[in-house]
Amino acid sequence: MGEVIVVTSGKGGVGKTTTTANLGAGLAAHGHRVALVDADIGLRNLDVVLGLENRIVYDITDVTGGHCRLRQALIKDKRFEGLFLLPAAQTKDKTAVSPDQMKALCEELRQEFDYVIIDCPAGIEQGFRNAIAGADKAIVVTTPEVAAVRDADRIIGLLEASELRDPKLIINRIRPRMVRHGDMMSIEDIIDILAIDLLGVVPEDEAVVISTNRGEPVVQDERSRSGQAYRNIVRRIKGEQVPMMKLEEGGLMSRFLRRMMGLS
Amino acid sequence: MGRERLSYTEEMVDDNTVLIQRTLRSGQKIHYDGNVVIIGDVNPGAEVVATGNIIVMGAVRGVVHAGAGGNEKAMVLAFRLEPTQLRIAGHITRPPDGQDLKPEQPEIARIKNGVVTIEIYNGERQG
Repeated sequence: MGEVIVVTSGKGGVGKTTTTANLGAGLAAHGHRVALVDADIGLRNLDVVLGLENRIVYDITDVTGGHCRLRQALIKDKRFEGLFLLPAAQTKDKTAVSPDQMKALCEELRQEFDYVIIDCPAGIEQGFRNAIAGADKAIVVTTPEVAAVRDADRIIGLLEASELRDPKLIINRIRPRMVRHGDMMSIEDIIDILAIDLLGVVPEDEAVVISTNRGEPVVQDERSRSGQAYRNIVRRIKGEQVPMMKLEEGGLMSRFLRRMMGLS
Repeated sequence: MGRERLSYTEEMVDDNTVLIQRTLRSGQKIHYDGNVVIIGDVNPGAEVVATGNIIVMGAVRGVVHAGAGGNEKAMVLAFRLEPTQLRIAGHITRPPDGQDLKPEQPEIARIKNGVVTIEIYNGERQG
């Protein structure tokens, strides 16, 4: 029986889809069977980030509507053995799927896969309700911006209200130099408000833009900082203890690290 | 310590108080007819409205309104008082623009001479 993890954020554009794609690819690279579900019906793009857009025949609404079997709609990734995508529909909207249908779908997927990762749409409306319905764990993605952190806080409140306790946090697109100069929220500032466990920090990296546009997850890029950050997060999801990556020598990160270790 | 400190502490004794043992996150609201004690934070975007006093054993970063029925004697006490907006009875205040002062000790807000006044709370009386 696999676990179902929803990747959510509230605010759009913070990196939910990129995170979903990279965690999926990273877990598959470790030999796990992973299903990625794009729950952003009407604005699908997980398929594009994975470079699988041209293989879509059936989508999630075809499965829930009984027009095809689940197996027919799952697209096998071209690079990673064990990685599959269930794409969203592009010509329908969020009401095309109900929370009960999502629950049933997740139950079916977890029979066959080690990890089911759901890419949640932005917002707190039905799309969000659908995406979290079948999940037993949640990952909240935020960027070091006041608006993104505010929305993440709102989302954590809604997750708790839906019995999804102890969500984990990924801080995306941090720029250590700006943090050092006091121009960007620090990891500590964010943790201070959100008060949830930190799963990882991904630095701002041009390699993400390049890989996303090419449809190749950055997690397989051995040289990039962001790829390393995602590989570390993948190992933490698997239950390994991986120390936080040093973003800058002797900077704020190492101080933060010491504090983290002191706490744990 | 002065006599005044004694008097407000005594006024806090009231029969109608609710205890909230969690952090209020953005979008969450508490409205209570009486006093509210929160063990946790009040995050930005959260709102606490009480007809009595508000005590927060954590950081207040959202909107708090004590004495919502018009009680000018109501007060707000917090470990870290850095609200978006603070209201007592009909008085509405907000932190001064452009200043990013982080309080480092518990503070108490109440109306003194018709103005909302914030002072360090050192809780000497409990000792």
